[in-house]
Amino acid sequence: MIPGKYRSVSGRAANNVNCGLHLVIQTSSLPEKNKVEFKLNKDTSSFPGRLLQHDLERNYSSRQGDHINLVSSSLSSFPILQRSSEEKILYSDRLSLERQKLTVCPIINGEDHLRLLNFQHNFITRIQNISNLQKLISLDLYDNQIEEISGLSTLRCLRVLLLGKNRIKKISNLENLKSLDVLDLHGNQITKIENINHLCELRVLNLARNFLSHVDNLNGLDSLTELNLRHNQITFVRDVDNLPCLQHLFLSFNNISSFDSVSCLADSSSLSDITFDGNPIAQESWYKHTVLQNMMQLRQLDMKRITEEERRMASVLAKKEEEKKRESHKQSLLKEKKRLTINNVARQWDLQQQRVANIATNEDRKDSDSPQDPCQIDGSTLSAFPEETGPLDSGLNNALQGLSVIDTYLVEVDGDTLSLYGSGALESLDRNWSVQTAGMITTVSFTFIEFDEIVQVLPKLKIKFPNSLHLKFKETNLVMLQQFNALAQLRRIDQLTIDPQGNPVVNFTLWKYYVLFRLSHFSMQKINGTEVTQNDMIMAERLFGILAHVASSELPQYRLISILGDARKKQFQYLLESKGKKPGIINEENNDSKRLVGENTNRATLNYTTRDFYNEKLEEIKEKKKFCKTYIEDLVKEATEINMKNEALQKLWPQMFIELVRDAVIEIRNKNSYMKLCLQQITDQK
Amino acid sequence: MLSPERLALPDYEYLAQRHVLTYMEDAVCQLLENREDISQYGIARFFTEYFNSVCQGTHILFREFSFVQATPHNRVSFLRAFWRCFRTVGNGDLLTMKEYHCLLQLLCPDFPLELTQKAARIVLMDDAMDCLMSFSDFLFAFQIQFYYSEFLDSVAAIYEDLLSGKNPNTVIVPTSSSGQHRQRPALGEAGMLEGVEASLFYQCLENLCDRHKYSCPPPALVKEALSNVQRLTFYGFLMALSKHHGINQALGALPDKGDLMHDPAMDEELERLVVRSKLHRTSRQHRAKEPGAFGFQRREKQEALERVSSASVPMPYHYRWEPRE
Repeated sequence: MIPGKYRSVSGRAANNVNCGLHLVIQTSSLPEKNKVEFKLNKDTSSFPGRLLQHDLERNYSSRQGDHINLVSSSLSSFPILQRSSEEKILYSDRLSLERQKLTVCPIINGEDHLRLLNFQHNFITRIQNISNLQKLISLDLYDNQIEEISGLSTLRCLRVLLLGKNRIKKISNLENLKSLDVLDLHGNQITKIENINHLCELRVLNLARNFLSHVDNLNGLDSLTELNLRHNQITFVRDVDNLPCLQHLFLSFNNISSFDSVSCLADSSSLSDITFDGNPIAQESWYKHTVLQNMMQLRQLDMKRITEEERRMASVLAKKEEEKKRESHKQSLLKEKKRLTINNVARQWDLQQQRVANIATNEDRKDSDSPQDPCQIDGSTLSAFPEETGPLDSGLNNALQGLSVIDTYLVEVDGDTLSLYGSGALESLDRNWSVQTAGMITTVSFTFIEFDEIVQVLPKLKIKFPNSLHLKFKETNLVMLQQFNALAQLRRIDQLTIDPQGNPVVNFTLWKYYVLFRLSHFSMQKINGTEVTQNDMIMAERLFGILAHVASSELPQYRLISILGDARKKQFQYLLESKGKKPGIINEENNDSKRLVGENTNRATLNYTTRDFYNEKLEEIKEKKKFCKTYIEDLVKEATEINMKNEALQKLWPQMFIELVRDAVIEIRNKNSYMKLCLQQITDQK
Repeated sequence: MLSPERLALPDYEYLAQRHVLTYMEDAVCQLLENREDISQYGIARFFTEYFNSVCQGTHILFREFSFVQATPHNRVSFLRAFWRCFRTVGNGDLLTMKEYHCLLQLLCPDFPLELTQKAARIVLMDDAMDCLMSFSDFLFAFQIQFYYSEFLDSVAAIYEDLLSGKNPNTVIVPTSSSGQHRQRPALGEAGMLEGVEASLFYQCLENLCDRHKYSCPPPALVKEALSNVQRLTFYGFLMALSKHHGINQALGALPDKGDLMHDPAMDEELERLVVRSKLHRTSRQHRAKEPGAFGFQRREKQEALERVSSASVPMPYHYRWEPRE
C-alpha cells in the first residue's frame, strides 16, 4: 500500500505538463484492485529530469507474478530471476516482485535496461544484486525489513527511491544518486537529517513517522518543493529558509511549542502551505494570528485556505500583542527603576541618620553636617499609569545595566496619590502641575524626607494641591509632639498616617490625642487608619485643653501678637514670592488671614519652628542681648549714680538746709544794713 | 519695702540678688525683637505687661531654655506652668521619661534631655530608664533637679568624694564642678557599705550651702530629711529631698502632693472648653459651607481676644504665687 498523497506539481516549468515523466501516486484503500498506472513517455532518453510521473498498476504486478520464475541456483544463495521472453518484450522496462515473500534481492540477469523495479511488501533485509540495473529510474522497496541504505551506488539514473516502512536508522550512501527526484523514507527509525545535501534535484522528501527531533542541514536541496515531517518529535526547525522552492511543509504531530523554534519559516518566501496541527503550538491562543502575521506568504494553513478576513484579523491581533508586550516591558522597566531609586534613597537616608547620630555622640570630631550629594541627574519621570504586576523580562536586566546613573529621589503620581521619596523630591512641588492632575491628588505621601524640610514646603503644598486630604509620613524623623503644630497651617486634613518606621514620636502613648487636640479645627476622621471618635476628641481636649487655655489667655498681649504675627508672616511669604507685591492681591491675603485665624485661636500660638530656624533665631538674638546688656548696664550705672547722689543729698540736706536758714537769718538780723545791701544789689544790677 | 536689710546692701548686690537686671535686659531685648508690633500700642504698656507677666509667672511660656533657667523665679514659674498645663495628662497613665520630655518641650522647645534624664534617675533610683513613672513622682523629682541643679551637681561631687573615701582634709579652692570640703578628721569610711554616712554628708552640705551663691534648700529642712537615716546613697538622698513636704513648700511652686491633681479654676475652664469642643464638632459636621462657619469662627476669635485682654488684669488665682527666697 502506498501511503500518503503524493502530488508533485511542476516547480519551475509550470506550463509544461506533458513532457517528461510525471509521478503521481494515488491513495486508495486496501486491498482492492488498485489501479496503479504506470505511464511512461516514449522519449525517455532525453529525460528532462524534472517531471516524473509514476503510476503503478496493481493488476500488472500480480499478472506479472505468474510469469516469473525464481530459480534457485546452486552456485549462490540468491535466487535467480527469469522471465519469459514475451514478458521481457511486453514489459521490458518494468519488473514487479511484489509480495513474493522474498527475503533477499534476487539476481536479475539480462534485464539491464530495466527502469522500474518494485519490491514492495517483502522481507528483504539488504539491497543487493541490483548494481547492474544501471538504467533504473524508480526503485520501490516499500514495506520491507531493510536496515541500511546500501547497494545503490551504481544507480546514477535513479529518480524515485521509495524506502518507506523499513528499519533504516540512518540516511547514507546516497552520494551518487544526484538525479533523485523523490525520496521516501517514511516509517523508519531515522534520527537525523544528513547526507542529502547533494540532492539538488530532489523535489519531494518524505521523512514522516521517524524519530527526528529537529530539522536542519537542509541546505543544497535547491529543488525541494515538498517536505513531509509529520509524526516526528521535532522541537525546532532550521534551514528551511535555505530551500528556495519549498512550497509545502507538513509538520503535523510534532513537538513544536513556540513560533520562535520555527522562526526560519518566516524568512522563506516560497512557502505557501504549512501544517502545524497536533503540535502544542496549535493549542495556544495566539497561534493562528502569529503564524499568519509572520508568514504573510501563506495560502493554506493546516489544510485550510486562508481568507483575507483571517489575514486582516491576524495582523490586527498581532499588532495588539506587540503593543501589549511593549507596554508591559516598558512598565516593568519603569517599575524596576523606581524600585532601585527608592532603595538608593533609603540607603542615603540611613547614611544620613547614622551620620547625625555620630555627630551627636562624637562631639570632638569635626564632621561636616551636610550629607555629601552624589552627582544628581534629574532623571525621575512623572508617570501616570495604573499599577501592573508582571514578571520581569529576561531582557529587562540587560536594559537596566544601561542605567549608569541612579536617581537620589523619586516623585510618583499614581491616580490620586502623590508619593515623594527623598528630600530632592520636594523641589518637584515647584513644577507646573496641570490643574487636572493636581486636582485629583487627595493623598500625599512623604518617605525618607526630614520632617523639618517638609514643614518648609507645606505652604506650597497647600496651594498647589488644594484637594490633598490625606497625609502620610514614613521615615521622616518625627520626634517631638510639637512638630505636629506645623501641620496646622494647612487648609484641611481628613486623614493622617504616621508610619511607626522612622518616626519615633509614634512611641508616645499620647501622640494621637495631641494631634487631635492641636488640629481639632480639621475635624480629622482617621488617624493611622482608625476612626476618630467623639470620645477621642473629648479625651484630647481634656488632656491638653489647659495648655491651649494657658497659651492663649495667659500670654501677654505683645507675645500673642508677636507669635501670631510670625506665623502669619511665614504663611504669606510664599504667596508674596509667587504673586509679587501687587496691591490688588493684598485684599485676598487679608481675607485668607481672617479665615486662617478662624482656627481655634487658643491653639494658634502653639507653633513649631524647625530646629534649624530656632537655632538661627537664637543666634540672631545673641547680638541684641549683648546690646541690651550694655544698655541696661549703662542705665543702671546712671541710676545708681543718681541714687547715690540722691542718698548723699538726703544725708546732707538737713545740714544744708540748716545752714541755708542760718545764713539767711544772719543776713536779715541787722535790718538797716540788710536794706542797704539790697538796694546796692539792685543798683549793681543796672 | 524700704526695709533696713534692703538698704544695707549696696546697689549692685541688691539688683543681682533680685535678678532685676536679668528682667530688664530681657524686657529690652523683647522690645527690640518685636519693635514694629509693640510700637503700635506703646512702650509703657509693654513694660507693664511684661512685668505683670513676670509677677504672674507666665513670662517663661514658650521661651528658650537659657531664659527659663536664668533665675530661680523663672524656674519656679516654669515648674508651676508645667504642673498646671499637664496636670490632666498626669491624671491618666504613667509615662516614660521620653514622653515627659516631650511634654516639657511643648512648653520650652529646646529643653535639654539631660535634665529630664537626671530627674528620671531620681525617681527610678538610677534603674532601668524606660520605666514608667507617675506624674507626681516625676514632677517632684523634676522640681528638685531643675530648681537646684547646680547645687545637686556639687552634691554629686561631694558624694563621689566621700564614697571613694577621699579624706576631706584639705580645703580645695572652689571651682564650678567640685564641692568644698572643710577640714574634718578622717573617719575611715569603708567603701563596702552602701552610700555614705548621713551626718558627715550633712556637714559637707552645710558648708556648701554657706558658701555658695545659688540657691540651696534650707539647711534645716535638709537636716530633717536626713535625720532618720544612718547611711544614704546619692539618689536616696535626692529622693528624700523630693518627697519632703517642707522643701516643696519652701519652694512654693507646687502644691502638696495630696493636692497635686486639684485645681478647681482650671477644671472649670477645662469643662467649658470640652463643652465647646463638643458643640464645635457637631456644628462643624452639620454646618453649611463658608458663611455660617465664618460667623461661628469669628465668635470664637472674639472670645479668645476678650480673654487675652483680661490677662493684663491680674486675675485672682487659686494658688497665687508669691516670690519667696
